[in-house]
Amino acid sequence: MAAVNLLFVVQRPPYKSENARLALTHAIASQTAEIYMDDGDSVVPIVAFVGDGVLNAVKGQKAMERYGVTSTEMHIKSSLMIDMPIWVCKEDMERLGLKEDQMITHAEELGADLKTKFVSFAEIQKEMEGTNHLLFF
Amino acid sequence: MKLAVFLSDWDRTEATLERLKADKMGVILVGNGIYHAVLKAGGKDSPVLSTAGASFYALADDLETRGFTAANVNSKVKVVSYGDIVDLIMKDYEKTAWL
Repeated sequence: MAAVNLLFVVQRPPYKSENARLALTHAIASQTAEIYMDDGDSVVPIVAFVGDGVLNAVKGQKAMERYGVTSTEMHIKSSLMIDMPIWVCKEDMERLGLKEDQMITHAEELGADLKTKFVSFAEIQKEMEGTNHLLFF
Repeated sequence: MKLAVFLSDWDRTEATLERLKADKMGVILVGNGIYHAVLKAGGKDSPVLSTAGASFYALADDLETRGFTAANVNSKVKVVSYGDIVDLIMKDYEKTAWL
């Protein structure tokens, strides 16, 4: 049994481009690749938000109410709901003056047990070095 | 010239903004431009808000889409609706620029 690790790194803010949304939807969909793999092998994706990308994880997004589009927040919560780790870089939050209470920390209302992890860039760097595939968005 | 400048990016565009001259200037923050109204990168206001003599506006819909409210907005910036922006264009400014 082998795990193929994927690290999706999102460095751009939400909405102006599709990068963040594509990262999240690709990461969610990546688990379907298991049908092409040997029995017992698995895909293990992580999505890490760095730089201005941490703005994707600000809570209270009203994209559906204002523009009729699914919010990046909902994609992040859907990720937590399927136990896909969401990491947010602490240093970049601090640089932009964002506090943890402004961020998406969980998706308990959707039944998710997994919570957002606020990590140092060093931890993300370590994961970059250890992952099988690194994808920047 | 009375000029309304729309900023829709968080990326730094002040180099152009700083060179624009107008008797009256309004900086209208829309899309990702609203981050200039709510973030304090490095603990400081966005340099955009230092544009001399300018009035600043941020579109409420774009603030709320991104998880912010009027309560998060810098005191230099007035939160406006789409209708307010139409009024600004039609009544307050002669020309518009989109940076």
